[in-house]
Amino acid sequence: MPNERNMDPKKCPMPVQEPEVRRRNFDEVALGYTYEMAVNEARRCMNCKNKPCTTACPVSIDIPAFIERVVHEDMEGAYQIISQSSSLPAVCGRVCPQERQCESKCIRGIKGESVGIGRLERFVADYHREHCTEKPQVPSPNGHKVAIIGAGPSGLTAAGDLAKAGYQVTVYEALHLAGGVLVYGIPEFRLPKIIVQKEIDNLKAIGVDIETNMVIGKVLTIDELFEMGFEAIYIGSGAGLPRFMNIPGESLKGVYSANEYLTRINLMKAYKPGSKTPIKHSKKVAVVGGGNVAMDAARSAMRMGAEEVYIVYRRGMEELPARKEEVEHAKEEGIIFKTLTNPVEVLGNEAGEVCGMRCIEMELGEPDASGRRSPVVKEGSEFTLDVDTMIMAIGTSPNPLIRKTTPGLETNKKGCIVTDGENGLTSREGVYAGGDAVTGAATVILAMGAGKAAAKAIDEYIQKKA
Amino acid sequence: MFRIVRKESLNPTVSLMEIEAPLIARKAEPGQFIIFRAKEDSERIPLTIADFDREKGTVTIIYQIVGGSTMELDTLQEGDSLHDFVGPLGCPSETEGLKKVAVVGGGVGCAIAYPIAKKLSALGCEVHSVVGFRNKELVILEDAFRAVSKEVRLMTDDGSYGTKGLVTNALEQLIQEGNQYDEVIAIGPLIMMKFVCQLTKKYNIKTIVSMNPIMIDGTGMCGGCRLTVGGETRFACVDGPDFDGHLVDFDEAMHRGTMYRDFEAHVREASCNLLKQEEQ
Repeated sequence: MPNERNMDPKKCPMPVQEPEVRRRNFDEVALGYTYEMAVNEARRCMNCKNKPCTTACPVSIDIPAFIERVVHEDMEGAYQIISQSSSLPAVCGRVCPQERQCESKCIRGIKGESVGIGRLERFVADYHREHCTEKPQVPSPNGHKVAIIGAGPSGLTAAGDLAKAGYQVTVYEALHLAGGVLVYGIPEFRLPKIIVQKEIDNLKAIGVDIETNMVIGKVLTIDELFEMGFEAIYIGSGAGLPRFMNIPGESLKGVYSANEYLTRINLMKAYKPGSKTPIKHSKKVAVVGGGNVAMDAARSAMRMGAEEVYIVYRRGMEELPARKEEVEHAKEEGIIFKTLTNPVEVLGNEAGEVCGMRCIEMELGEPDASGRRSPVVKEGSEFTLDVDTMIMAIGTSPNPLIRKTTPGLETNKKGCIVTDGENGLTSREGVYAGGDAVTGAATVILAMGAGKAAAKAIDEYIQKKA
Repeated sequence: MFRIVRKESLNPTVSLMEIEAPLIARKAEPGQFIIFRAKEDSERIPLTIADFDREKGTVTIIYQIVGGSTMELDTLQEGDSLHDFVGPLGCPSETEGLKKVAVVGGGVGCAIAYPIAKKLSALGCEVHSVVGFRNKELVILEDAFRAVSKEVRLMTDDGSYGTKGLVTNALEQLIQEGNQYDEVIAIGPLIMMKFVCQLTKKYNIKTIVSMNPIMIDGTGMCGGCRLTVGGETRFACVDGPDFDGHLVDFDEAMHRGTMYRDFEAHVREASCNLLKQEEQ
């Protein structure tokens, strides 16, 4: 009965691999709704007229409309509605922090749990991928060329939107594989690489040209791209530069940046038996940081065979910036949370290997500029954590290669590219930027939103000029 | 794909490959490096550019077979292609304003030292080259160095060729002979660079070294190539690979270089067994 609403106050639970099993494999944790579960969950949506969920979505997906299509079991119709706003629905359904976006505004959330919007988005995208045999239509070319730097979520979104509008789009990627953080950072168990590959194949099918192994700023500069005939350029080069804490011992063997640890495992496939990529097989691991990257690193370390894995975070459980689901999954998998704890020194043995970590306990003081209570040191609370590996997941800074080689491109003190409001225009005419390169490390969906806004602005810019 | 247009064996363990990579050849400068993957499932390996030809559109690399990845590279022949080849990465060596320089190369490090000697010579700088090898069999690029240097001192550990001794012996002798160098550029094993720096510090001669640590992406992303220079953490891939040798913490770099020694030994053995099986 399509018109009958499901008044269950709780979301239909997501089927998952059991924690005891999944903590030792890299297969996807969340298995996805079945057809029946999806329809049943969709019927929990009240189809509100004012769509609070849509206003809280960084790419403004018409959420009640797609969910209504699911209620009517028109899955392809639902997919078409999502793809009007999102280029990577199968990705977003898996990695978006929905509890802080769409689902936080759902009216079902007032007296119970919000509608499982992310889970429904994922179901619709997966259903489309598994059932749709139609080839995407190649748009008719409009004769204009745009270059995109970085094949991560932001660049791919901009590329998709521009290609659909008829632009000839070339995406330059520094690594040997397109996908950016979706392939080097987010692990297989949270985002299977075959899904990313499929999204990229879809872009190629509509005419997007992806050039890998191209480090813009080195092999070609922004100015040379203009000389080559590109009329506008979008910089989505991300925030790849890992930060360290500058505490003693950070260069010991066994101290990794989360970027390095995850890149070895994901992009370079160190998790596969017989891989040619070396990685330390750690017994006791401390991951420093409380974001999604920290959870990914900790859960990867567990899957690589570690006996004990700690999250060391200087604030409390409430303040963890990671997605709620990732924190819960990590806890279920046996990750030990050492919150209100900060490392002060990495200890090494004679061979220069990590053999422990000196930590100090913290307590929460007054709220700081971010509005969160800032941690202060608890005097005399130092202790040693027995670990052989330490992974730093305390954030990243924008990559300097482009700003160093592009005269007139304004950046701020932190190295982030300065843009004019929401359309992403930089201090250089025809050069737009977005994603982590502008904001510093943030989320996939915000980077996609920026790519979307910039694609629109680039289209207007070129059409006005032509 | 990046086609190998020329492959040459320089000594029993060191080979040269000239590779078609026109965009990289157009921009490459001495001191910069590339990252290659021989095959689709290979590791990413950094190698400093040994030479380039902007007109032909080729980049030359010289490699020593030390582990599984270089062994795999060596299975490719002229006409084959490398799966990935990316660059030019890192900052070019600074050559401006130098009038007299001693270039010190050790072993396969000579492959990297040579293009710098060549560029300095072309700029009118007086180049003295000190090159060292374990024995006569391993000598590479002798003629190339002679062509661009006013003075060449060739050293071997066992005295089977040139003069018996270490590069530091020859460099100290040159200094004592009254040669006043604006700069010493030392490229070779970490232990060699460390001792060259100890020597030049004594004589207060600015010394540049080229670091080649473990790295993945080569664009600043992984932080694996970090080293301590003058008490600060620097990334070899974006801040280097050239650094002021008197400020580099060589002992730490040597420790970090051994991070995956066991793994590499295992892979090397596995690759050897595989090759043996293929031969049988």
